[in-house]
Amino acid sequence: MPQSLVSVWIIGAVIVVAVLAMSIAFLIKAIKRGKAIGMSKDIIMQAVKSSAIFSIVPSIPIVIGVGILMTFVGMAISWIRLSVIGALQYEIYAQQIVFSEGGAADNQMVLIATALTLMTVGIISGPIFNAIFYKKYQNTLATLQEKNEKAMNAVTGALMGGMLAGMTSAIVVNAFFALGDPKTDAAGITTFGEVTLIAWAASVVIMALCGVLLKFGKQKWIENYALPLAMVGSMAIAYACTGLFA
Amino acid sequence: MKNLFKVAETREEHNNQMHNIGRIFTLITLGLILLVPILFCLEAKVTPDWSLFLKTLPAIVGAYFIVGFVEAISYAPLLGTGGQYLSFITGNISNLKLPCAINAQNITKCQQGSEEQEIITTISIAVSSIVTTVIILIGLIPLALLQESIVEAVKPVSPYVIPAIFGGLLVALMAKYMKMTAIPFVICILISVITNILGSGLNQSVMVIVGMVISGIYTFVMYKLKKI
Repeated sequence: MPQSLVSVWIIGAVIVVAVLAMSIAFLIKAIKRGKAIGMSKDIIMQAVKSSAIFSIVPSIPIVIGVGILMTFVGMAISWIRLSVIGALQYEIYAQQIVFSEGGAADNQMVLIATALTLMTVGIISGPIFNAIFYKKYQNTLATLQEKNEKAMNAVTGALMGGMLAGMTSAIVVNAFFALGDPKTDAAGITTFGEVTLIAWAASVVIMALCGVLLKFGKQKWIENYALPLAMVGSMAIAYACTGLFA
Repeated sequence: MKNLFKVAETREEHNNQMHNIGRIFTLITLGLILLVPILFCLEAKVTPDWSLFLKTLPAIVGAYFIVGFVEAISYAPLLGTGGQYLSFITGNISNLKLPCAINAQNITKCQQGSEEQEIITTISIAVSSIVTTVIILIGLIPLALLQESIVEAVKPVSPYVIPAIFGGLLVALMAKYMKMTAIPFVICILISVITNILGSGLNQSVMVIVGMVISGIYTFVMYKLKKI
């Protein structure tokens, strides 16, 4: 694993502090505004609690991503890249094309510097859009909302449903076509179509069972934990199944 | 700066404060992110291989830079002001921030398009960003101590987190959105089947955008035809 430089650790710590400060600033603003418009403390706490519980399981693969990427670019760079916008598949893709195109002519530090520059430049379009255009864009959306609230609410709901439809069809159909044909990506992670379908179906079943318990068993407590339970349960089943197909 | 944290009296004032805070933090964080390769090069006493950089840049611009713009435009109506700024700094939107916000909206039963919904979304994404940042930070300890062995132990299960999230989320939201998105859903499945038959199924991030565009257009047309 390449050595991490002191200056990169320091800038990493500063970035993490900035990200935490940004999150806390928005959290405080939202809570204050919520209270000002009469939202109850219970509802606000429910949102905080459910979001905190929900975020634990999906964060673990990001840590694994840091572990995978660090073997190529060192721990500090890997930590920074996966703490800010980006994702393992993107960072690995950038690293792989630089390392494979670079060959023996460049030393490792030059290759890392090139890959790091490429990763940094390639992913900044979203934040640039926000810094320059988002306010104007959002004002346009707000004007449309004022003029035709019903249509905008319908389209916003449709976008949410569309996200769900797009993601679900990609998960299920791609997994179906990968049955018996496991795929290993650039990070060395192998995905089995069978296990994907099992994990997805297990999550559906566990969530449905939670719904039954909530509705017919009057188990109100389960509402906050239903999705985390479905996630953890289906991941445990997936973990048990990977051995069967490997 | 003090004015930014004053409790706003109107939704518009609150929104303007959120934009100002968002822009300030976005510019600061962007500057810090851009500093990383500069500091690396200064301490390592190297410069990037610029010819290699230019050779590989088109692949990244095509695959990620343009997608970044498209995502920023298409996710905006769902993330709300605070959520949009935060999500495009901390990342992991479709696999973590957005499902987390949808789950919180669902549990708190807030109304579509209301200010309460926007506040719940911002709270949810802010809490999610804090939790993820802290977990990554804590995760560095076992990674430093155990290195590859811990990665090898947990790596096999990492591709199944997204199916584990979206299976449950589909059940939670089916009743709410199915009527409106049943036809877009069928179209998405057909697109996935056709692209797979042609040899290259579209990945999840692309299909999310495809699904949103199809569903948005379909709903708009239905609305114009007075079917909804």
